[in-house]
Amino acid sequence: MNKTMNRRSFLTSGAAASLIAATPGVSFSQVVGGAGPFDDYRALVCVFLFGGNDSFNMLVPRSTAEYNLYAQSRQNLAIEQAALLPIDPLTPSATDYGLHPSMGGLQGLFESGAAGFVTNVGPLLVPTTKEQVLNGTATLPPQLFSHNDQQDQWSSLKGNTVSKTGWAGRMADLIRSGVSRQRMATNASLFGNNLFQAADETVAYVMGPTGPVRFEGFSSDPDNPGYAQQQLFQRILAANYDSIYARAFAGVQQRAIDAAETISTAIDNAPVLGTAFPPSQLGTQLETVAKLIAVRDELEMQRQIFFVAAGGFDSHDNQNEDQPGLLGGVSDAMTAFYNATLELGIADGVTSFTQSDFGRTLTSNGDGTDHAWGGNQVVVGGAVQGRELYGSYPLLEIGGAEDIGGGRMIPSTSADQYAATLARWFGIDDADLDIVAPNIDNFAVRDLGFLGG
Amino acid sequence: MKQLLGLLASLMLVACGGGDGASDPTPIPPAPPPPPTVSKAEAYQLLNQATFGATEDAAAGVIDAGLEAWIDNQLLQPTSLQLPYLQSLPRPQPIGLLNGDRVDVWFRNAIDGNDQLRQRVAFALSEIMVVSQLGALQQAPYALASYYDMLARNAFGNYRDLIEDVTLHPAMGVYLSMLGNQKPNPALNIRPDENYARELMQLFSIGLVELDIDGTPVLDDQGQPIPTYDQAVIEGFAHVYTGWNWAGFANFEFARPTEANQAQPMQLYPDFHDTGEKLLLNGVVLPAGRSGEQDLADALDNVFNHPNVGPFMAIRLIQRLTTSNPSPGYVQRVAEVFNDNGAGVRGDLRAVVKAILMDPEARPELPTAIDGKLKEPLLRLTQLWRAYDATSASGGYRFPAASFFFGQGPLQAPSVFNFFSPFYAPPGEISDASLVAPELQIATEFQNTFVTNFFFYQAFFQNHLNTGELQPDDVYIDFADEMAIAADPNALIDMVSGKLLGGVMSDTLRREIFDIVSAIPETDAALRAAETIFLIVSSPEFAAQM
Repeated sequence: MNKTMNRRSFLTSGAAASLIAATPGVSFSQVVGGAGPFDDYRALVCVFLFGGNDSFNMLVPRSTAEYNLYAQSRQNLAIEQAALLPIDPLTPSATDYGLHPSMGGLQGLFESGAAGFVTNVGPLLVPTTKEQVLNGTATLPPQLFSHNDQQDQWSSLKGNTVSKTGWAGRMADLIRSGVSRQRMATNASLFGNNLFQAADETVAYVMGPTGPVRFEGFSSDPDNPGYAQQQLFQRILAANYDSIYARAFAGVQQRAIDAAETISTAIDNAPVLGTAFPPSQLGTQLETVAKLIAVRDELEMQRQIFFVAAGGFDSHDNQNEDQPGLLGGVSDAMTAFYNATLELGIADGVTSFTQSDFGRTLTSNGDGTDHAWGGNQVVVGGAVQGRELYGSYPLLEIGGAEDIGGGRMIPSTSADQYAATLARWFGIDDADLDIVAPNIDNFAVRDLGFLGG
Repeated sequence: MKQLLGLLASLMLVACGGGDGASDPTPIPPAPPPPPTVSKAEAYQLLNQATFGATEDAAAGVIDAGLEAWIDNQLLQPTSLQLPYLQSLPRPQPIGLLNGDRVDVWFRNAIDGNDQLRQRVAFALSEIMVVSQLGALQQAPYALASYYDMLARNAFGNYRDLIEDVTLHPAMGVYLSMLGNQKPNPALNIRPDENYARELMQLFSIGLVELDIDGTPVLDDQGQPIPTYDQAVIEGFAHVYTGWNWAGFANFEFARPTEANQAQPMQLYPDFHDTGEKLLLNGVVLPAGRSGEQDLADALDNVFNHPNVGPFMAIRLIQRLTTSNPSPGYVQRVAEVFNDNGAGVRGDLRAVVKAILMDPEARPELPTAIDGKLKEPLLRLTQLWRAYDATSASGGYRFPAASFFFGQGPLQAPSVFNFFSPFYAPPGEISDASLVAPELQIATEFQNTFVTNFFFYQAFFQNHLNTGELQPDDVYIDFADEMAIAADPNALIDMVSGKLLGGVMSDTLRREIFDIVSAIPETDAALRAAETIFLIVSSPEFAAQM
């Protein structure tokens, strides 16, 4: 807090303007934090599907001509046409689509207008054609088809430059002066450290799937016998350590002690939710997020970004056996979460959205699929202009217009556009969108419209 | 437990009133003995790099032998194994329960094995060439134990043998889906699985971009790194890795796991191997019409001889053993040994391991802030257990919840990308300086709290005083020696610091422990000892290694 105050008082002096003028490439808003204070509550919930979700089996063409192309491409991995759960978008389209049969919850959300899909989206630096990719003239994100590199692309939108921050981290930095009263970090992860929330100034907080754990034998209450132990422990952590590794470790421990009591107490006091969550990894995390949203006022939160995740989507084999559980798990957990936000009366202030390493090949390797590029993503929330498909759904044809080989689809919408749309709703000024989504100026559409535009 | 915690509570009240630390008597450490050729601190440094945790007994061995002779002796130790132990046990239902015994025997070898360096390198390799119990291998504990034994046997062998054994091991076959991978079927749009082809190159051998001998990326004229392979090369290798399945069957399509073939290399079923041409690295093309064995041997030679392997493996192993941020010079010195062990042999891991440990940068005379690394959380536990003669009533280390408390367990990574990335840089000064700290990725607020709480339980409850209340498998530590001298806080701190830190301890930690221990009644030796152990084992200086 002192750091923020010092920075802000510094910025009111004449020195700030000259410093900024002398620092090329740094905008004023980047330094001061451009947005806020806010008069409402908004939360973004990133649901990361680790491994690369085979999302062309999540949202599937149902019209016979397009379905037949899909079935021809996918062969033994195709979902039966009659099994697809029909959806009925508000804007009529020549092609009908359906959802994987395990995603009944999401079908209901879609039809009610609370969910939409962004189709064939993926990391792009500029609009890219098949011809450019095949003749080697395309400007591409590095290391397409590599798990960790493409997770990093979705998280950081960094392109070919090295980025130490993610787009959620940059959003938290941009709004930090507007949310200085918040008693918990803007960025909270329930699934470990991640690049998505890494920032220059603000520090993300990592809790467990059911929230933080308290330290045994510690207390921040001076009347409690654990108080002395905690004070002593914190004095040890505050010592000067020569090793950067010891220093970093001590910093994590200090943040853990500072936050554990506050957040644990808030969660303990959260109202009991009537909404039942599935007992899955993802359901547990989203239930905890719902509890934290329920106590947002007590924690004086106005803007939050949560990171939750599920693994197991790298379906190189046994795809037909595993996919119902994977996709059904996403549908059930995200549906329960939306219902919980309805119950809490905050559905309009909470938007959840999926990200994943990449889409998967349309072709089969026998019993599974391999790493590809573009894919479909889900957005859910009261603010979502749902019951619509955004972007351009490709013809799922081997050798077709978007296939660069083996059924790897060139994205028609960029991850930057997806992020910028979410960021604008979150409260980031239009002028700052290129800080969040560095490649956004290369695309004609800055806002995909799924949050009202 | 309750009794001890109750005492702790009363202590806190006393300590709370103790007030200003500055007015307390400053403890005076005893005068150090004259330095031997190898100091205890140097021995601890080596042992934390080369074993599952430094202890005073082990340090005495290093001091007695000297650093190099100790390493040379370790390089000759026979391999402690896991599979024979698992095979000696009754078969539980479901068979996956045997993974608890697999973790047990891993701890037995880590705590008590004479082949400490071999086991430590095997652990490092298990975090580079990752297979995991989490997933399909849950029901294949024999395959997992066999895989780990294979890593341990190859730890001081040749890297070329290692990658062939890794490639053909059914645990890896299952984990990265080379097992059952078959030649293309164009009519059905079926093409070979690319999983193993990609990860062998990205994670086990050469990485994504061309490296100089010192590990720094080669840049093109645009200043961009140069990819080591493209999709066409992935597809070439994917075709190489076709036709392999569980051993011992006449028919590919009916091959199934058995207890025996979980520990046997996969078998080639020639009808399912693709016999077309295959594009490999550096433009090499394997001709059509060859056997699966020939294709595999030449493909692995092609990877093995890529100039990246030396610097790539040097960085990976250095990071696991000695330091997170080796200088280019350190990487180059180790990579040169990988390329030629001095006798013209490429890939000699015995020579590589020794080069890593004997390098001046592994034990700098004037350490800087970036030397060393954070210890892996599981290695903090093994060090405590080794230093405090940990045992259980049942005699083993059955601690299947280790990964829950410590965020890692043997062959239990969440994915082939291991528990943490070699490139992880925590935000703050480490990231700002373009440095990395891989282990910090799992040192989250959440996981650190669990680790700290476990050490709290260990010190205050799972100790030799409470054996009557513990479960047979609960691993407890013994601090009878500490209790015997606990009347003297300085002597107590010296003893625990001597065991856990090699006697190298910050003034802050010493002063804080002295204050709180002095506030505990002298008669309560157990509480004094437990408090001292807890505070040292959960301290930042114990978490890091120099």
